[in-house]
Amino acid sequence: MPALKVSGLTFSYGPRPLIQDLSFELCAGSFLCVLGPNGSGKSTLLRLLTGFMKATSGSVRLGGEEAASIEPGRLARLAAYVASETSTPYDFSVRETVLLGRTARAGFWRGYSAEDGAAAGLAMEETGITALAERSINTLSTGERQLVFIAQALAQEARLLLLDEPTSHLDLKYKSEIMALLARLAGRGLAVAAVLHEPALGRLGCNKALILNGGGSYSFGAAAEMLTPARLAAAYGIPPDSPLLPK
Amino acid sequence: MGKNKFLIFLAALAAACLFSLAAGPAGWSNYDIIINLRLPRTLAALAVGAGLGLAGALFQGVLKNPLSDPYILGTSSGATAAAVFCFLAGIERTSPVFFLAVFAGAFGATFLSYWLARLAGRLSDAALVLAGVAVSAFLSALVMLTLTSSGARSFSLFYFVLGGLYSVQPGVLIISSLIIAGSGVLAMARWRALDAMALGSENAYHLGISPERERILFFTLACASTSAAVAIGGTIGFVGLMTPHIVRRITGPSARALVPAAALGGAALLTAADAAGRSLFSPSEIPAGIVMALAGAPFFMWLLCKSSRGRA
Repeated sequence: MPALKVSGLTFSYGPRPLIQDLSFELCAGSFLCVLGPNGSGKSTLLRLLTGFMKATSGSVRLGGEEAASIEPGRLARLAAYVASETSTPYDFSVRETVLLGRTARAGFWRGYSAEDGAAAGLAMEETGITALAERSINTLSTGERQLVFIAQALAQEARLLLLDEPTSHLDLKYKSEIMALLARLAGRGLAVAAVLHEPALGRLGCNKALILNGGGSYSFGAAAEMLTPARLAAAYGIPPDSPLLPK
Repeated sequence: MGKNKFLIFLAALAAACLFSLAAGPAGWSNYDIIINLRLPRTLAALAVGAGLGLAGALFQGVLKNPLSDPYILGTSSGATAAAVFCFLAGIERTSPVFFLAVFAGAFGATFLSYWLARLAGRLSDAALVLAGVAVSAFLSALVMLTLTSSGARSFSLFYFVLGGLYSVQPGVLIISSLIIAGSGVLAMARWRALDAMALGSENAYHLGISPERERILFFTLACASTSAAVAIGGTIGFVGLMTPHIVRRITGPSARALVPAAALGGAALLTAADAAGRSLFSPSEIPAGIVMALAGAPFFMWLLCKSSRGRA
């Protein structure tokens, strides 16, 4: 059973549909990049997948269950989501922030169990932030903070990991590190879908690609077939020989 | 957080109580004054302070906004306006109708501020403060209009609106304390949801929390607690704003320790403020609301500067 199955998904903010009749599947071990020009609905698509926003029509199934009818606590165990930037005025420590990923698994009132602590510890190890555990998240660099929220998502132990522009404000080192981390997670059996703002990043480990062209049309397939200069140039409206495109 | 950190709050609370029981021209000499005048007043200050400190911690968490408190969001003004109308309508202060009306006033005013701030699209810290100021100003004007046109009874009402702990009815004190304690216990039971909301509603949703449901729940608890405090002491500002900021330095930001500590800290802060108002300018007496505003308004200005630089 696919971790994610989208069929006939349609959504519009105004009279013109932003996403129209979109269908695709994502299985465990896949690493999907979602590409497309600004305003083509990439971030909106992720929010539709988790039910944070409601689609006009169509269906999203997470591990076989219809997303629209899953209550939030159950949803957080099926799919984890990392926003492009999360900020808070309060000085939560890295460990506290990662432990919040256990919200749906821990009971109310009680503290965190040893199991919660172990899951958070593993997530911090996986993302390489163990040394930062006691620091306030507000004292971290943007890249370190992004890793904290990826660790929080991992602590949820969901099979599907969705990320909205996980590398958009980061330098090249963090970009390649985070892409390598996501590819590793997919290799371990997670289904990963990341909205990327630069098509070239899709070459770093993605095996599936979804290109939204704006106005509802899209193409989906193996990354090798999708990430061609001709397709990307058409989607972004730039010349096919532009140096910005992956060769 | 360790148990010994909670001892700090208990010690502060005990010190504030002693100060409050001793404050006044008669000192420790007159047993009657201590038991019959200062003790009820100290208990009232404890309850009101706990209620406002609790409400402040809940608002600041659920709205992810360090500038929010029941005074700034208009919650207190809503409760005060409802209380004034009840007094004029002759509704008994210990009747359920009175408490329901005051709660409805608090909840209505808070949701109005929240809704106004949301109209602009994304909920920003500044928009919420501005909306709260607008709602408060309008409700205060309504109250003043009512007071000036109602003649004879307005003098005691005027003191109520100003915020003070003069004539506390035992019945009101007991009912309000129970409401505040109940709100506190329910809020503590959902500390995890409050922490998730402090990362923003989108993050909270994806962590398995329903933001709309939690927002209504925590607004309800904060408004119940505020309205119970207002029923005792009228409009007293800045306790809810200052307490969580002070307490967070000791407990850290997690609601698990912050919520009970904010209730204890608020109780200590207001009790000390009320005792200071009675003793510093003796024999004349400054209402607790004015003492809190003298301390709290500069604190708010400092907070505004700090949060405009990005962090609070």
